[in-house]
Amino acid sequence: MESLQLSALDLRLGLMACVLAVMAATFHVLTGNFLTPENLYNIAQQTAVVGIVATAISLVIVARHIDLSIGSVVGFVGVLIAYLQYTAGWHWAWACLAGLAAALLVGAYQGGLTAYLGVPSFVVTLGGLMSFRGAAFLVANGKTQPVTDPVFLWFGGGLDGALGLAGSWALAAVLALALCWRTVQARRAKARHGFPSRPLAADIAFTAALLVLLAAFTSAMCAYQLPGKAGGQGIPAPVVIWGAVVIAVAFIVRRTRFGRYVYAIGGNPEAARLVGIPVRRVTLQLFLLLSVTITIAAIVAVSRLNAGTNSMGTGMELYVIAAAVIGGVSLSGGSGTVLGSVLGALIIQFLDSGLLLLDVGIGQRMIIIGQVLIVAVAFDVLYRRWTGERLA
Amino acid sequence: MNFKHALLTAALLTSAAAHAQLVVGVSWSNFQEERWKTDEAAIKAELAKHGATYVSADAGGSPEKQLADVDGLIAKGAKALIVLAMDKDAIVPALAKAKQRNIPVIAYDRLIEQPGVYYITFDNKEVGRMQARAVFSVKPRGNYVMIKGSPTDPNADFLREGQQEVLDGAVKSGAIKIVGEEYTEGWKPEVAQKNMEQILTRNGNKVDAVVASNDGTAGGVVAALSARGISGVPVSGQDGDQAALNRVALGTQTVSVWKDARDLGREAADAAVDLAGGKPVPGTTKWTGGEHKVPLDAKFLKPVAITRANLETVVKAGWITKDNLCRGVDAAKAPAACK
Repeated sequence: MESLQLSALDLRLGLMACVLAVMAATFHVLTGNFLTPENLYNIAQQTAVVGIVATAISLVIVARHIDLSIGSVVGFVGVLIAYLQYTAGWHWAWACLAGLAAALLVGAYQGGLTAYLGVPSFVVTLGGLMSFRGAAFLVANGKTQPVTDPVFLWFGGGLDGALGLAGSWALAAVLALALCWRTVQARRAKARHGFPSRPLAADIAFTAALLVLLAAFTSAMCAYQLPGKAGGQGIPAPVVIWGAVVIAVAFIVRRTRFGRYVYAIGGNPEAARLVGIPVRRVTLQLFLLLSVTITIAAIVAVSRLNAGTNSMGTGMELYVIAAAVIGGVSLSGGSGTVLGSVLGALIIQFLDSGLLLLDVGIGQRMIIIGQVLIVAVAFDVLYRRWTGERLA
Repeated sequence: MNFKHALLTAALLTSAAAHAQLVVGVSWSNFQEERWKTDEAAIKAELAKHGATYVSADAGGSPEKQLADVDGLIAKGAKALIVLAMDKDAIVPALAKAKQRNIPVIAYDRLIEQPGVYYITFDNKEVGRMQARAVFSVKPRGNYVMIKGSPTDPNADFLREGQQEVLDGAVKSGAIKIVGEEYTEGWKPEVAQKNMEQILTRNGNKVDAVVASNDGTAGGVVAALSARGISGVPVSGQDGDQAALNRVALGTQTVSVWKDARDLGREAADAAVDLAGGKPVPGTTKWTGGEHKVPLDAKFLKPVAITRANLETVVKAGWITKDNLCRGVDAAKAPAACK
């Protein structure tokens, strides 16, 4: 382990990937159709909305805050976007921009109260949880707002909402090249600064494993063919959007001052303030970042359902926070990764889809998912104790 | 002149006061649904016609708050109560207080199974029958999927029972096979969509008809079907949501069973005024069809099945504008109501 320079973090992500693989294999044996292109396509799409917001909530939780109003704001922004298109007759792009503006206002309001007045985010967003659900109702007086613009519907990954064969493989190729380039760059940078590198074989094996995963995913998506359509579907739009959000947020975390500040604040807010980190501004910016991802999630959710309904997103905050927590984000702040949130969201959705395929009743399903959350966190506590990471 | 004027004013005031003595309290479970606003408007208008006063409280989905709401309405002087119960059992303690003061209670749309309660609703079993009948007439054989309502709403099971009554024969003879059946947590469209996708996967897309219990869940089902390019599968619904009526015009939904909420509101307001005055309500039947077989006075209104053939009904009733109904409908394939 020393010679491979595996951090506790890498190990944790690896373990989670193994859990996913075991779940997939178990469900496949039990149902016979879990690992089919069709079901993987379903899961990828069903996870995207939760996954998009989970990336940003991870950072919010890392900075020792929380947002309980996510589901309500998704509902509010979603209905607003649908309302502006359907009832007010706006072009979808303007409607989405207006939705973004509304979300940013919400973020500025809640983030401002948290950052500058020092009201605990738990309380601010608990109020938001109720208020914005009410706002979602008021926007269209509770009426369902259908959307029909074919371009807008692409985001939701419906019949034509995928990249197709050529597009999917082109995207996969670009990602593969970027991955290889990054590995090479990382090795060079380490050598330049005199840090010991991992054995070349380990790096090659790791990168190759990721490439195989990428290729397998792409070919599975391309193998999914809808009746009456020539050629496979390819990677669905919600997944492309989710991927883009993950890359963008990961970039912010690893390559910007803002990202480092977030972790510093989460580690010790008082120390962060004393060394001159603008804690308040960073907190506000965090909530604004969350608002952006909420808008994106709302667009995907409305487009996927072909309508904005006032119940949209009810209870979603719980899934989003659960995804982040299962993904290894510590609720006491300071540690957690964006990639972890992706795996966490996938674990929940694997479970939900697999149990549905097994025809497990709704009551049992809710019990199992709830208990898995507890198991994940219990494991997390034990794991941190074992590796000597910060304890909760 | 002045004297006369004063006399007239006094007379008006006393007559208004005499009528205003009747206060009707309405306790809503939650306004998070499209239709209750319509009900409220109808109740208000009808009570105003009788010269009665409307007071209300919204429990915001909390059964505990609804108990306090009912107490509050009684304190405000309500002489009759109309209750849309959030939870049919949790509401019971509130009724004891009403009973003690001889305040009649009307269970509005959702059953409260307690002696002395007056139950007014649309016939939910009939709604279920109408849904199944409309789908069955299009697809008398094949693989059926049942998308049920919320597991906490007793209406979801009444609907399912009605649907079963119509389909039972065909299920027994083997003409129909039920290949998927799921409850929809909180009646949420996105949950129905996800459930439908998994059912389609489980059955390799071999689904011929979907009996969905309301328009919201039907929306989720239609989104799941159209995302796979599956068309021509009959789908049912209920509530006459604008989006659903538009789908009926477009041909992606077969039927929306429409319960004219304005009828229900009007009838409930009339019943409240009658009961408060100690008069019998015309059209009352004795009913014992609840879980505990408690005999209740009840009134059942008949819903209307809205299909492609009678879409003009909802336009004529002023429920939806022709523009909204026919949005995006291809003129060549348009139903009569859109021409």
